[in-house]
Amino acid sequence: MTEQTELERRYRRLLAWYPWAFREEHEQEILAVLMACAPKGQRRPALLESADLIRSGLWMRLRPRPPSSAPMVRAAVRLMYVGAAVCVANLAISIISLALNGPRGVTLRLGDRSQSLPVAITVGLVGCLLVVALWLWMARTTSQGRSWARIFSTVLFVLASLELISVASVSKMTLGLIFWAPTWVVSAASIWLLWRPASGAFFEMRRSGSASKEIVAAQS
Amino acid sequence: MQEATFMILTALAEQSQHGYGILTDVQQISGGRVQLRPGTLYTALDRLREDGLIGVDREEVVDGRLRRYYRLTPEGIKRLGVEAARLQAHATAALTRLNLAGGMAS
Repeated sequence: MTEQTELERRYRRLLAWYPWAFREEHEQEILAVLMACAPKGQRRPALLESADLIRSGLWMRLRPRPPSSAPMVRAAVRLMYVGAAVCVANLAISIISLALNGPRGVTLRLGDRSQSLPVAITVGLVGCLLVVALWLWMARTTSQGRSWARIFSTVLFVLASLELISVASVSKMTLGLIFWAPTWVVSAASIWLLWRPASGAFFEMRRSGSASKEIVAAQS
Repeated sequence: MQEATFMILTALAEQSQHGYGILTDVQQISGGRVQLRPGTLYTALDRLREDGLIGVDREEVVDGRLRRYYRLTPEGIKRLGVEAARLQAHATAALTRLNLAGGMAS
């Protein structure tokens, strides 16, 4: 295998960090630039270059994608990332308080003294990770302009609100409310943003297949 | 506007360029201070396309490799102009004050 094809193969492997749709459109082009930048005789991508490709690829997979022409949707997506961060923070606080106060605090917060501690922790951990995954998934699908994403988000918000009301009315778990309240506020704000008329225009645009890139192409 | 974004738009201000051309041009404009890597460049280009500031001008195949040329859109020209004017105003203010301070000290 020649040095060049070996280097190209390694670059291709690094480009796998990028989303499929992006690779489909830009892989050949980026490869050309990477190969043009490589000094003669180079067999492996440089460390910093590899790190840059991995970071950029991951960023493209995770970052909010709505264009600046849809600021409401962009803000809603950012709030969804905030929601995920709040869940992680809640989880961290629970773990820290467990470490500091011992098992008593946790069983009290879960409101079920009969539950054994390992089960309670597992349920709490899995539940929290599921909620984080839901937030990230909603952010992703909303960013892609899937109009069902905002309907689904709204349904989840209503369910979460009902849960909050039931928790508030049934028990006096003020700690539980403190945990839920920030999440609820973030959800409410993001749902409000998603149903603004300007956001509707973004979803309509994506639905009719005229993504911003094509508008740019049409402007030319 | 981030510096990398400003430099990329500046590189495209005069004529359309392909990825490698933008990298070398940005390096030249900044006197070697800003050295974009391909990963960062294409992340920025994708974002700029989504924001409607740049568009694809044409595509060529050179030595069996694809070259895509990018150019500024009317919106991109406007944004770069506004940002350049803003930076110039700041630079002028700084230089004016430095001169005044220098004048007082001497």
